[in-house]
Amino acid sequence: MNYVDCFRALARHRTDQLVVTSAGNSGQAWWAATRDTEATFYLDASMSLATMFASGLALARPELKIWAFMGDGAFCMNPGMLMVERSMNLPNLTHFLVSNRVYGATSNAGLPNVESNDYVAIARGMGLERVFEFRSIDALERDFAALSGANLQGHTFVVLEVEPFSPQEQKLEQPPFDGPELKFRFGRHVEARTNCDVFGYRL
Amino acid sequence: MTEKSSDTGKRIAEELAKCNVRLVASLPDNWLMDLIDTIDRDQRFVHVRVNREESAIGLCSGAYMGALGSAALMGASGFMTVIYAITKINYTYEIPLLLLLTLRGSVGDHHKHHISNGLYLRPVLDAINMPYQIIDKPDEIAAISRCYHHTRTFSRPMAVLLTRDLLRGGH
Repeated sequence: MNYVDCFRALARHRTDQLVVTSAGNSGQAWWAATRDTEATFYLDASMSLATMFASGLALARPELKIWAFMGDGAFCMNPGMLMVERSMNLPNLTHFLVSNRVYGATSNAGLPNVESNDYVAIARGMGLERVFEFRSIDALERDFAALSGANLQGHTFVVLEVEPFSPQEQKLEQPPFDGPELKFRFGRHVEARTNCDVFGYRL
Repeated sequence: MTEKSSDTGKRIAEELAKCNVRLVASLPDNWLMDLIDTIDRDQRFVHVRVNREESAIGLCSGAYMGALGSAALMGASGFMTVIYAITKINYTYEIPLLLLLTLRGSVGDHHKHHISNGLYLRPVLDAINMPYQIIDKPDEIAAISRCYHHTRTFSRPMAVLLTRDLLRGGH
C-alpha cells in the first residue's frame, strides 16, 4: 500500500491518541497527513528509540493512548526493544512498524536480509500476543476496529507493509519544528490533557 | 550482597525516591548489582531492565514528557555507546536526564579491560559538555538529589559517577 495513503487512513481513524514518530519518512508522512502541531512528538533520527520514548510516555500517563511509528530500518538497529516492550506490556501503547523494506530516510538505501525479515514472526518469537499485519488500505479500513480495541488488553504491535516513498514523496516537507518548540508544544498538550506538571511550572 | 553495599544501595534508592524518581531503567555492571537488586525490590520504583543502554535513554526521555521522574542506571561501558542518543534526543529537545554510571577504570578498579573507560569516560563527558558529579563516599550520596534537580533546572542531562569505593568498598 502507498505509505502516505496508509498514514492518511490511520489519521482518519485516530481519535485522541498521542503520536510519536520516528525519523524521516514516518515524520514526513504523518505531517503530510495531519499537520498536527500539538499532540505529535516528531522524534527526529533517534536511530530506533521512538517506541522506547513512547513506552516511557505511556508508562507515565496510563490515561492516555499512545501510538508510536517506527520504520523497519530503525527496527533492524534495535529489535531487542520488543523484549523491553513485551516485559512492560503497556496496554495504552500501540507500536506501528512501518515496513517499507528500505532505509527510507536515506534515499531508500537497502536493508540487510530484506527478503527474509518476518517482523510478525520476530514479534511473536519475543512473546508478543497482540500482533497485526496490514498490506492494503482496504484491509486497514476493514479491520481497524480490532486495533482500537487493542488498548484494552495489552501492548499491541502492528506491521504495516507499505511501498517505499517515490522520488516525489521523498520531497515531502519535514516537520518544521525546532526541538525545544516541539517539546513545549507537546508537553503543554500533555499537561492540558492530564492536569500533570511536565516542566515544573504551568502557564 | 555485603552489609555495606546493601546499605549504600538503600541510601541511593532513598535519595532517588526523595526526588520523586519512579522509573529506573537499568543495564547491569558488576559494581551496580546490589543497587539494582535494591531498586528492583523497592515498590516505590518501576524498574525496567532494558536490552541496551540506548533504550534507557529513550524510556527516561519519554517518561519526562509524561511528567514521570526517572533515572538511567548503567556501567561506564554502556554509557560510551549512548552518546548519539543523548546528543540527538536530550540536547536537541532539551530534555533532562539523570544518569547514574560507574566510574570504571579509575584507581581501585581491578579489571584491566576497563582501561579504555579510565582513559576516555571523563574526556567524553567533557567533549559533549555534560556536567558530572563523582560520588566516592556514603556521606556524598545526598548530592544525587541536587544533580537530579540540576537536570530539571537547566533542561539538560547530567551524570553521577559512582566509584568502586562507594559501591563495593575500598579494598
